Amino acid sequence: MQIRDYIIRRLMILPFLIIGTSIIVFALTRIGGSPIGIYLSHEMSPAEVQEMKERFHLDKPVPIQYFYWIKGVAQGDLGWSGVASAPVIDVFPKKFAATMELAIAAGIVAVSLGIAMGTFAGARRNKFADHVIRIISVSGASMPLFWFSILLLIVFWVWLGWFPIGRSDPNLFEAIAHPTGFYTIDALLAGNWDAFKDAVWHLIMPAVALGYGATAIIARMMRSSLIEELQEDYIDAAKAKGLPKNVVLKKHARRNALVPTVTVIGLTFGFLLQGTVVAEIIFRWPGLGRWMAAAVLRGDQATIMTYVMFTSILFLIVNLIVDVVYANLDRRVELGD
Amino acid sequence: MVQTTASNLNNFSNHLIASVEDLKVYFHSKEGLTHSVDGVSFDIIDGEIMGLVGETGCGKSVTARSFMQLVQTPPGVIAGGKIRFKSKKTGNQIVDLLSLTENQIRELRGERIAMIFQDPGKALNPGLTIRTQIAEVFQEHREDDVFKKAKIDYVHKNFIGAILQKYIKQRTNLIIKLMLLVPPIRAYKKKLDKAIDKLVIEALAETQIPNPEKVMERYPHELSGGMKQRVMIAQAIACNPDLLIADEPTTALDVIVQARILELIQELQKRHKTSVLYISHDLSLVRKICDRVAVMFAGKIVESGDSDTIFKNPVHPYTKGLIKASFMTHERGKLEEIEGIEAT
Repeated sequence: MQIRDYIIRRLMILPFLIIGTSIIVFALTRIGGSPIGIYLSHEMSPAEVQEMKERFHLDKPVPIQYFYWIKGVAQGDLGWSGVASAPVIDVFPKKFAATMELAIAAGIVAVSLGIAMGTFAGARRNKFADHVIRIISVSGASMPLFWFSILLLIVFWVWLGWFPIGRSDPNLFEAIAHPTGFYTIDALLAGNWDAFKDAVWHLIMPAVALGYGATAIIARMMRSSLIEELQEDYIDAAKAKGLPKNVVLKKHARRNALVPTVTVIGLTFGFLLQGTVVAEIIFRWPGLGRWMAAAVLRGDQATIMTYVMFTSILFLIVNLIVDVVYANLDRRVELGD
Repeated sequence: MVQTTASNLNNFSNHLIASVEDLKVYFHSKEGLTHSVDGVSFDIIDGEIMGLVGETGCGKSVTARSFMQLVQTPPGVIAGGKIRFKSKKTGNQIVDLLSLTENQIRELRGERIAMIFQDPGKALNPGLTIRTQIAEVFQEHREDDVFKKAKIDYVHKNFIGAILQKYIKQRTNLIIKLMLLVPPIRAYKKKLDKAIDKLVIEALAETQIPNPEKVMERYPHELSGGMKQRVMIAQAIACNPDLLIADEPTTALDVIVQARILELIQELQKRHKTSVLYISHDLSLVRKICDRVAVMFAGKIVESGDSDTIFKNPVHPYTKGLIKASFMTHERGKLEEIEGIEAT
């Protein structure tokens, strides 16, 4: 099947998957009980509570409540966030952009470093460089994110003062417009070099902290699959053609070694999104993760449902991308069934 | 190093293309050192098909791979010996293949010495098109031909020429890749690509592949085993090498395809006057196509000579056994056995 047809077909299935996800998300969230708590205060009388329930249709059966929720979502009403004291739809886009900026930056760190380190180590199996990279990646995979983040914070913020925390300098933040919510992109759009530098500077430490674990996993995967590919006959055949080592490694071995690595990269994306919760709290990053943590603690179901829905959709899209990249790398893969 | 070899190369007769002398290749394994090839010597006469016969694991493939320095070290160790080779292109200069540097041997690989591998399904990269894989041989060794065919005549002479040369030789980095997108350079690049296409089509047509234009756009898994082996052969003879090493090229194929591939190799060998080192465990096959044969057993050559003579009057018991086993002249179901030699 043509890749284009495949993408169109998958995109056509996407709405159904989203509806299915929404039912599951709604049902699972309701395990936590009625969402009314966040909207009540101690001064309310039973009559007022009842009125509140009716206002949010919480007096109706759960399946009917689902349809009210979906109807609201379709109209752009994602509910009222008790934590943010504002409609979810007003707060969500900015926080979502903040989290995505962090997750994408961490993803770039993880993919580029992971593949580079894995290739370097795999090509120098059991040499000194391989051992060094092994130490780096094993510690990356085994150090808990919250601990590593705090270490970075102590060394680079408290002791050395090289990197700031938070998301940007307030003055520079005020200086530019924020059409996308991605500060790096906003600064570039505004053509403000200082703001861009500031945005990147704030991004580095949380991105490295968040990306380190994924880097380690990708590097290990890349190394082992590269070593496997280097044993293959076609590597000897490529050498027998007189190709230099570098071409054999990069054009022949690395390309095929990427096939299993891409699957792992797709999986680590979920890992990164989860990690944003911890990283945002520690680095004071004003994103979804922090909001989400507060929402879970206080039973803010409108926020939780929105968050879970969006991350599920993201996952579906990332999966689609992984499938397409996979089929591009390994031509034996038949897209479709 | 070069001088010492040069003085030792004097006794190299004129009619030879290559000569293996006391080749020793050992492998480190858990049980200790395995003497995989233990003092092998034989000559390949210019223009002949030389057969190297022996059972699986007797060291014939390792011998073949030593010609191109393709034995992995470690775990392999080239413990001694010489492989002298006469490179016809560079004025019959005689070199010792084992003592060449990485870059020197790379110039010979694919250009003067080429190899056909046992399993074409594994020896072709599954992720690249046939075109890309055959093109590499031309790109690496026939840069001038590509430029000539594209009618671009300023190699090395200026900036654009330097970029195009890097492109052809696959030594690109990100900056060069970006520059190749600039319109005037891109036009040249397209011309070069077309020229390479033509060379690839010619090479494929040489091996009687129908529709080479279509085949070259395919990936290996879309072709049959026989087709893949033809592609491998096209790739090997692309630069018209002096010596073609065929490492059991028909073992992975079914019988009818085997016969066709054999015919093809024979025909190409006659047309291009290439010398061939044909490695096989199949005696009847070797007898059919080889002028001379060396029989290998446990890392040593036990018998060698004219193929007809060896088949008529085998001297070594192992050769006798092999011949008997392959023709089954004795009663069915009983295999000839000989006492093995313990590998040390």
